[in-house]
Amino acid sequence: MPTSSFVRSRVRALALVAATLGVFAAGVETQAPRFYDDDPIAREPESQDASKAEPSPIQQLYEQVYGLFITSDVKPSGTRAKNINTIDEVPDSSWFTNRIGTTTVTADEIARGPIVGPPPDPSTWVVIREKTSGAHPGFTARDGRGETWFLEFDPPYYPEGATAAVEIATKIFWALGYNQVESYLTTLDPKRLQFDPKATLPRPSGARTPFTMDDINQILERVARNKDGTYRVVAGRLIPGKILGNFRYSGTRPDDPNDLVPHEHRRELRALRVFGAWTNLTDWKAANTLDALATSNGRTVVKHYLQDVGSTFGLNNDLHEWDLSYEHFYQTGTMWKRFFSFGFALSPWQTIDYVEYPAIGKFEGDRFDPRTWRPQIPMQAYVELRDDDAFWAARRVLAFTDDLIRAAVHTGEFSDPLAEKYLADTLIKRRQKIASAYLTAINPVVSPRLDTNSRLTFENSAIAAGVASGAVTYRAAWALFDNATGQTRPLSETQSTTTTIDAPSGLPTAAGTFIEVSISADTPAYPTWKQPIRTHFRRQNDGWKLVGLERRP
Amino acid sequence: MELVYDVSGSMRGLRLSSLFTLVALTGSAGVALAQQPEPTTRQAAIEQAQAQKLEVLHPYIPSRGERLAARVDEILTNQGRHLHPFLESAYSGGSFALGAGYIQHVSSYNFVDVRGSYSLSNYKRVEAEFVAPRLFHRRGELSLLGGWRDATQVGFYGLGIDTSKEDRASYRFKRPYASALLTLWPARRYLVLRPGVEWTQWSQEPGLGRFPSVETVYTPATLPGLGADPTYMHTQATVGLDWRTSPGYSRRGGYYGIAAHDYNDRDKAFGFQQVDYELIQHVPLLREAWALSFHVLARTTTDKGRQVMPFFMFPTLGGSSTLRGYTSLRFRDRNSLLLQGEWRIMASRYLDSAVFYDAGKVTARRSDLDLNGMKHDYGFGVRFHGPFSTPLRIELARGSDGLILVAATSAVF
Repeated sequence: MPTSSFVRSRVRALALVAATLGVFAAGVETQAPRFYDDDPIAREPESQDASKAEPSPIQQLYEQVYGLFITSDVKPSGTRAKNINTIDEVPDSSWFTNRIGTTTVTADEIARGPIVGPPPDPSTWVVIREKTSGAHPGFTARDGRGETWFLEFDPPYYPEGATAAVEIATKIFWALGYNQVESYLTTLDPKRLQFDPKATLPRPSGARTPFTMDDINQILERVARNKDGTYRVVAGRLIPGKILGNFRYSGTRPDDPNDLVPHEHRRELRALRVFGAWTNLTDWKAANTLDALATSNGRTVVKHYLQDVGSTFGLNNDLHEWDLSYEHFYQTGTMWKRFFSFGFALSPWQTIDYVEYPAIGKFEGDRFDPRTWRPQIPMQAYVELRDDDAFWAARRVLAFTDDLIRAAVHTGEFSDPLAEKYLADTLIKRRQKIASAYLTAINPVVSPRLDTNSRLTFENSAIAAGVASGAVTYRAAWALFDNATGQTRPLSETQSTTTTIDAPSGLPTAAGTFIEVSISADTPAYPTWKQPIRTHFRRQNDGWKLVGLERRP
Repeated sequence: MELVYDVSGSMRGLRLSSLFTLVALTGSAGVALAQQPEPTTRQAAIEQAQAQKLEVLHPYIPSRGERLAARVDEILTNQGRHLHPFLESAYSGGSFALGAGYIQHVSSYNFVDVRGSYSLSNYKRVEAEFVAPRLFHRRGELSLLGGWRDATQVGFYGLGIDTSKEDRASYRFKRPYASALLTLWPARRYLVLRPGVEWTQWSQEPGLGRFPSVETVYTPATLPGLGADPTYMHTQATVGLDWRTSPGYSRRGGYYGIAAHDYNDRDKAFGFQQVDYELIQHVPLLREAWALSFHVLARTTTDKGRQVMPFFMFPTLGGSSTLRGYTSLRFRDRNSLLLQGEWRIMASRYLDSAVFYDAGKVTARRSDLDLNGMKHDYGFGVRFHGPFSTPLRIELARGSDGLILVAATSAVF
């Protein structure tokens, strides 16, 4: 793009941006409603055609350096997530689909995960090119039916570990709501390997030359081999649609009209800090994501995938380094602490006793603390996580019952049942740590309902999860709410020691009227619970409908 | 649903002057948009914002930082790499050297590297190397090297361990060389075999600089090989076991190896043989936050019959990778023994510190290679490193000659 036209387009863009913000500001002046009739929305609209979006590869070195040396020192903005609906939930979108925690997910569904198509046919594998992402040894090949798959192997001393991690984590992250690659555990027999005549590999010279058996051998020498000479692989199905490269954990795609919310302010991306801690997704970075064009409701949109969630539990392409999940690759504070103490100031990872399962690696639940968990590189979305985001995420983690966790882990097809049990038990332990850390950190009142008998009922998710106890006094401050102006008129305050509170008399009965109820929880053990959640109900012909919920840290 | 238009992406790369233009334009655009009907649903509000963004779509434009990182990445990963820095001096003690090289691939993996450097002490080095890194199905690497070096003021303090730093003299040498070195990993790991052959022609000249030249202090009778210009055919063979992460940086593993050298003088006057015994062992502690690292290197030489080994080929100690508390080439004799111990502390994945102790001696007789009468130094250093290399090492070492500041671009061992 010529410079002058580039600048003109930028000026125009900024003018429109400013104008858009101005329209929102004018909306307040002209008394636009706080709640629209369709609130809360269940799906984020994608109204525009995004077919002109083009691949924009991530510069990985830049991402790593920027994350380690810039983002790591950035103070969180404290901004509330911007893609949530008016009741503090994340609507479905091309990023996220509400599954566990919103709807009932069965063990069978977990075991199936994102799979919709048939498994690969391993009778032959035709090598077509290198693997395009991830550090696992592997390559891209067509199966016996001619379908394209990405094949990844296990490290030599940790058989089953990497492939199981991909398989299990894919199921878990699918259930959590993310778009995942369909993956299967299968086998590769080198004797049945063929090469597409057009298969090439990039060389140090910069040229691409034909893929050879020696190239395959170089991969196979570094991976675990079965006793019969075959190799256990995890096969990821080629994502359909035009591939657009990775998505960034900050900003928006400038070529996607539907991408309005800066990614660091998308709750489901911030929540990866919690889900990552639970599953030990240490290699959380843009390079492990993928955008692709997809068709939705007859329109071309950009669909966003967490493409590679295999660096979970205790392995990635090899055994985790000792400090992984406890420190970023570079962390100023701990670095100087060790430097000036000559290493005598021990870090937590130096004193943990790991149970040795080669198929799992360094993964444990006893010393795990989700608040001190660290990915290799901090992303902006990681920095921006607030307690309300973490609370939302923790409830989804908690929605995994023991049986669902065991169903997900079983898909790893471990040959050692003790390893399978250990991994499931550890995930269960870490789930409870997540719940304990994040459900108690903020007012845990959820699911408020106001019935026609003017009785407000709700739940305390922390107590329900068994991570908090003790007497709690709940207080509800009632007010009339003017949806046009946003003004409130206090009515009165009622309280209860149960999760049911009577409303004061005089609540409006006319359809279309609103009330605001601020619910706080008073218990000495958790002073943060005094910060009320602010709820709004709209009167409808058949009763009160929850239309607003804000949980403030 | 709250919506905020992404300003950051659109702002990228905008010049300050354009911002002033923006201020002027904002009003009119705002008026135009204000004429649009107010949305009546959340969905409509979002769709309206998406429609507005449609007007300003543009491809992602990498920032200056991203473009710079892409270039650095190309250099580090050798992708399309042609020009590269070359900081190695012609010889020990040449001071800081600056140079450049040019790599040209001649096949997918094989390349030719033409490089040269010039140091603060006027040392010069020009050479060309052909490297075939994937011979025998990745079991071998061949290096063919040819070049010329000029070291103008090589230090010489006398023979033996009890010399004084005040007795420094210097000499100059120039030498063309051509070599072939084949490194083999028969099992692709652990076992290393390294046969090689080198032709080189040494030419001594009076040393430059402020120190007296050797021929003004010594005679051929007092200093073997003074004034000699031997032409060697040097053959060598190394066998070793190497299970370090990388020779350039490792916190675990070890290397045990023996290297035998035969220097055959064309004129049968200065031939000799040398055997190097080397042991490196890294012992990780506290989950590799510490590593105790040990290095033993013994070099023994033997004259060939009545031939005399020239002084400039004697094993030496002193410098950035041996006795760090002493200047380069500080001690020199027919045999040497070096013992090094380091307590390495991993401060981060990119920074280590180390407390170290070096001891060593040079002797005229092999039987004197014991622990008596050794020179010692100790010190502290920091190393900036990656997983496989140590691009910068800065150390402060104290020996009996005083304090030495070491700056090096490689691991000590």
